[in-house]
Amino acid sequence: MEQTAQFYLGLIPLMPLIGAVLIGLMHVTTCRGERFPDKLYAVLACIGPVLSCIMAFQVFSLLRTLPVEHRILVHKVFTWISVGELKISMGFMADPLSSLMLLFVTFIGSLIHVYSIGYMADDKTYAKFFGYMNLFLGSMLILVLGDGPVVMFVGWEGVGLCSYLLISYYNEDTSNVLAGNKAFIVNRIGDLGFVLGMAFLFWGIGANGFDYVSLKTNAHLLPQATCLLVCLLLFVGATGKSAQIPLYVWLPDAMAGPTPVSALIHAATMVTAGVYMVARFSFLYIQVPEAGEVVAWIGILTALVSAIYGMFQDDIKKVLAYSTVSQLGYMFAGVGLSAYSAGIFHVFTHAFFKALLFLGAGSVIYAMHHEQNIWKMGGLKKKLPVTYLTMLVGALALSGCPPFSGFFSKDEILFSAYASGHKEIWMIGVLVAGMTAYYTFRMMFVVFHGQPHSKTSFDHAHEPPPVMTVPLVILAAGALLAGFLNFPELFGGHQMVSGWLEPSVADVHSHAEGSTEWMVMGASVLAFLIGITTAFVKFGKGAELPVFSGFAKFAYNKFYIDELYDMLFVQPYKTIGAIIWEDFDPNVTDGPRKTVAWIYELAGDIFRLVQTGYVRVYAIYMVIGLSLISLLISQTLN
Amino acid sequence: MILNYLTLSIILFCLGILGVISRRNVFTVFMSIELMLNAANLAFITFSRLHVSMDGQVLAMMVIAVAAAEASLALAVVILLHKHKGVLDTNIFSLLKG
Repeated sequence: MEQTAQFYLGLIPLMPLIGAVLIGLMHVTTCRGERFPDKLYAVLACIGPVLSCIMAFQVFSLLRTLPVEHRILVHKVFTWISVGELKISMGFMADPLSSLMLLFVTFIGSLIHVYSIGYMADDKTYAKFFGYMNLFLGSMLILVLGDGPVVMFVGWEGVGLCSYLLISYYNEDTSNVLAGNKAFIVNRIGDLGFVLGMAFLFWGIGANGFDYVSLKTNAHLLPQATCLLVCLLLFVGATGKSAQIPLYVWLPDAMAGPTPVSALIHAATMVTAGVYMVARFSFLYIQVPEAGEVVAWIGILTALVSAIYGMFQDDIKKVLAYSTVSQLGYMFAGVGLSAYSAGIFHVFTHAFFKALLFLGAGSVIYAMHHEQNIWKMGGLKKKLPVTYLTMLVGALALSGCPPFSGFFSKDEILFSAYASGHKEIWMIGVLVAGMTAYYTFRMMFVVFHGQPHSKTSFDHAHEPPPVMTVPLVILAAGALLAGFLNFPELFGGHQMVSGWLEPSVADVHSHAEGSTEWMVMGASVLAFLIGITTAFVKFGKGAELPVFSGFAKFAYNKFYIDELYDMLFVQPYKTIGAIIWEDFDPNVTDGPRKTVAWIYELAGDIFRLVQTGYVRVYAIYMVIGLSLISLLISQTLN
Repeated sequence: MILNYLTLSIILFCLGILGVISRRNVFTVFMSIELMLNAANLAFITFSRLHVSMDGQVLAMMVIAVAAAEASLALAVVILLHKHKGVLDTNIFSLLKG
């Protein structure tokens, strides 16, 4: 049984990767001639994720049967790198943390693949899309299951690549390609931090094995200063991948990709990789509370800033994108304050309700024939009842309405912030919770309530096919019920998720009186109520495109951060490039290069005289050469 | 006695080399090559006689056989060259010029 499960560990990432290779080859060989039917690609694309999902459930249920302290399965497939004392194997590991991630990544991944069958139906390069999606899922599973930082990094880069490919998927439009470039380049900055962090970690304690198990055992040998440095550098990597200040700018632009991509990659799975990584390295973060403090502050500030942006967006996907950044900020606040299980639990619930919201937005966009501006929608409640109801569940979960899943996970983070004495972080968190409720329901009211703003597209709007609505319903059930997995003890629950994650992450428990818990919860609910009421008053009866001024205009333009980055980094970089290209290159480096070339040219001119082209002359050379050789031989023989 | 045979062989060989180097007609060059081959044959047979061994004579027979095969090929090449340019001057065929 255990052997089978270990075997599964290798197969889980392999399944979607096989699908990707197969689909890729089929697409490349047939893209010029007669193509395979789209249905075949759809089936092929869904088989891999579904098989992975089934195996993930098997692994999970096996882990549950094991005693708590032995809940770890490792499968070393082969030795990958062996240089001196550095020995790194391509190994996969399932422990409570990675198995939980595994479950929802494969489950939601499968659902989104099914949804994409409907959403991408009119696409010309159907196969390419599914090939990339499968490749993404395979990389994500490598990231989650990797048994050491290096294997994780392989997946980390893989998902970054797929993210880039899928953001620029509609590559006829330059702005989409630029958005892909932006995501890729900003992620490179983060990756540099990750690599440096890994290098310092290896330098510190890597000699005795560089997988999580050995690192965890040896973590106490790491000097305090190095540990702090490693933690901060790894967090730089996390800010890139998970879109935190200062590297969050790529995620809103990433909405240029197809909507299922936004749901899978830029909401549910890839962007939470940073949180997962911090939780994975919790044995390091627990040693340096200062690093955790930085993580938590950056997280909560990101949550605040992006919530402000979210209140003024008019693209339905941008609203959701900023809310993703904001929720990721919450998660980092959680893991930064050593409430790892709360952070991971929020990752878990967020995956459900945010994937749901994105897919719902996808079916709205699908129904409106690729219109994304919320001010051109309105009154869609009657036309899209299933989408409306499921999105409502998602919106309530995102806003933290009890008893939807988002309420429990968010509240747990806020509670640990309050109980660990970080009152400021808690206060900002509650404020952001109110803002979240406001912008989410602003979007809901403008899109689904009031009067339609565009009569023609309203009349053409229709509910998408079942292949798209069924995943919505399943995700809505998840968004509604996932919270009960970690039902607080206050209500007589068992906190199953926290208990499950106990062996993997080094949680610091802050205890508080029941009354404090009630107070914290009450504040969150109050913030939610204020947010939703404000949204209702302003937009409940339908609204026209507002004209922004003052602070609103400033926030609408995202505080001009993109322009600032452009001025501070992009333009100087371009200037340096231009100087090197136009001045440095021709005047400095070209001199030696041309001299070397001239020497070779001269030598060539001399030696080409020998090559006359006359056979007779070559015969003379032969005679002379052979005579000399004969002479030499006869000399040596004598 | 042996020396005379070897001297004759060397003279024939040098004549062959001179022919290859100095003549421009493809046929003459070809004949000169044959001359060099036969000079070598003469040397083989001479040494065979000197050492009272048949090895040299066998080798000479082999060379004659190979020369016959080579002649058939070379003549075909010559015909092609003539078809190509209409002349048999080796200086015309100088495509290898650097």
